[in-house]
Amino acid sequence: MTNAMMYEQLDSAIDQMFAAGAAEAPVPEDRTLAGLMGMARELRCLPRAQFKERLSLDLDAKANTLSSGRRAPVHAVASLADAMPTLAGGGLAEPPRSRMNVIASVSLHALAVAMIVSSGYFATQPKMLRTQVISLVNPDVSALPPAPDLSGGGGGGGDRSKLDASKGALPKLSHEQITPPTAVVRNVEPKLEVAPSIIVPPNLNAPQLPNIGDPTARGAIASNGTGSQSGIGAGSGGGLGIGTGRGLGPGSVAGYGGGAFRVGGGVSAPRAIYSPDPDYSEEARKAKVQGVVTLWMIVGPDGNPRDIRVQRSLGMGLDEKAIAAVRTWRFEPARKDGQAVPVQINVEVMFRLY
Amino acid sequence: MVEAAQRDPSRFAELYEQNFERVYAFVMRRVRDRGEAEDVTADVFHRALANIGTYQWQGTPFAAWLLRIAANAIADRWRRLAKEPIPTADEFLDSAIEDDTERRTMLTQLLHELPADQGLVVVRRFIDQRSIKEIAAELGRSEGAIKQLQFRALENLRTRMRSTYD
Repeated sequence: MTNAMMYEQLDSAIDQMFAAGAAEAPVPEDRTLAGLMGMARELRCLPRAQFKERLSLDLDAKANTLSSGRRAPVHAVASLADAMPTLAGGGLAEPPRSRMNVIASVSLHALAVAMIVSSGYFATQPKMLRTQVISLVNPDVSALPPAPDLSGGGGGGGDRSKLDASKGALPKLSHEQITPPTAVVRNVEPKLEVAPSIIVPPNLNAPQLPNIGDPTARGAIASNGTGSQSGIGAGSGGGLGIGTGRGLGPGSVAGYGGGAFRVGGGVSAPRAIYSPDPDYSEEARKAKVQGVVTLWMIVGPDGNPRDIRVQRSLGMGLDEKAIAAVRTWRFEPARKDGQAVPVQINVEVMFRLY
Repeated sequence: MVEAAQRDPSRFAELYEQNFERVYAFVMRRVRDRGEAEDVTADVFHRALANIGTYQWQGTPFAAWLLRIAANAIADRWRRLAKEPIPTADEFLDSAIEDDTERRTMLTQLLHELPADQGLVVVRRFIDQRSIKEIAAELGRSEGAIKQLQFRALENLRTRMRSTYD
């Protein structure tokens, strides 16, 4: 057998050994090759160089961790007293100390304790309250100009008379009211006479009539009206008209113009007579959003909603869908004393997926 | 050396270098799978490092302590893998196998004494398990030349092993 053939046969046997894996590979008949294959089998079991290096690095890291966490060996001591450190040093477990360092340390600790104790005194001292002075500089309540169509506010009054308020001129229009208007004077000899007034901007044009009364009323016989809490009219609050307040006409608080009423106190709630359901927005349907959109609006005397605003939003296009639907609603208007009046209400529009 | 490692674990590296071949050969002879042998060997040295402080010289060499740990690790592994029958650690330490361990340890040392090209071919062929074609491409030699180097390297190792043990 030539050398080249020996090389080939050996390599072929080595290939068979690798292919056999854990099983026993066939042994060549040639004694020389059989001996070399014994070496090959042993070499095949040697560890990979990378493994040895990697394990070495792992152990080094672990050894360093152990070294850093390990304390210096503790020497045996003669007695416990020898091992305990003394204030000025001398114990085995502590390094020697200088007296100056001990004095400095004690002083600093004493100072720190004093600061901590005294800080409680400063922390509990009441702070001086600063006096705050708020000056009212000519507060002008007439800043609200008359609206082109309807402004807010109003007033009303009366003294629970059997008769409706009588027709008459407006009392003094003023920014403040001391005496409410009256068509029938109950106190003929007041101790301090002050001209009656209502809180309405003075620039309002009003009809000129001889007696004080409600310009919109029809009654000719003097009467303060069926309202209450002084004033003239069917309302309450010392004003003039059907509202509640010290102003003029429907509305509340002061001013004039017939602002919307609120339900209650003699004002009935409007009733929806046509209320189609809103559509679902495609975006909200995909996102499976459900809930309630709350809308604020005024239902006018004609039963139509207006001034619709979103009070509580759901988003995803549902607010717009709710407004669009409510805008088509029709109401039986709210009423006060039998008359249709504008009223502000909240409407909840529910969106639900089934 | 052991006392130095007990005082300072960072000195354990010397013990590792001195005993790695022996421990690996011992384990490899018993598990017969290189990946498993590497896992067990790593486990043995980690255990040894963690417990180096408990080692006390009682007339037996430090290597025997390591081989005892290795025998226990192999027995634990057999128990976990539920191999039947389960040999005890003492059975793993029988002397007949111990001779084989020394032989394989020697083989690793002799490998470093081979001529550089022969040693490289042996490492690539048997440890990295590359083909002749791959080795030839890496070294820029013909496949025939690599096969010749492979033959010569095995022959060389066999001769040296015989001279060592005969």
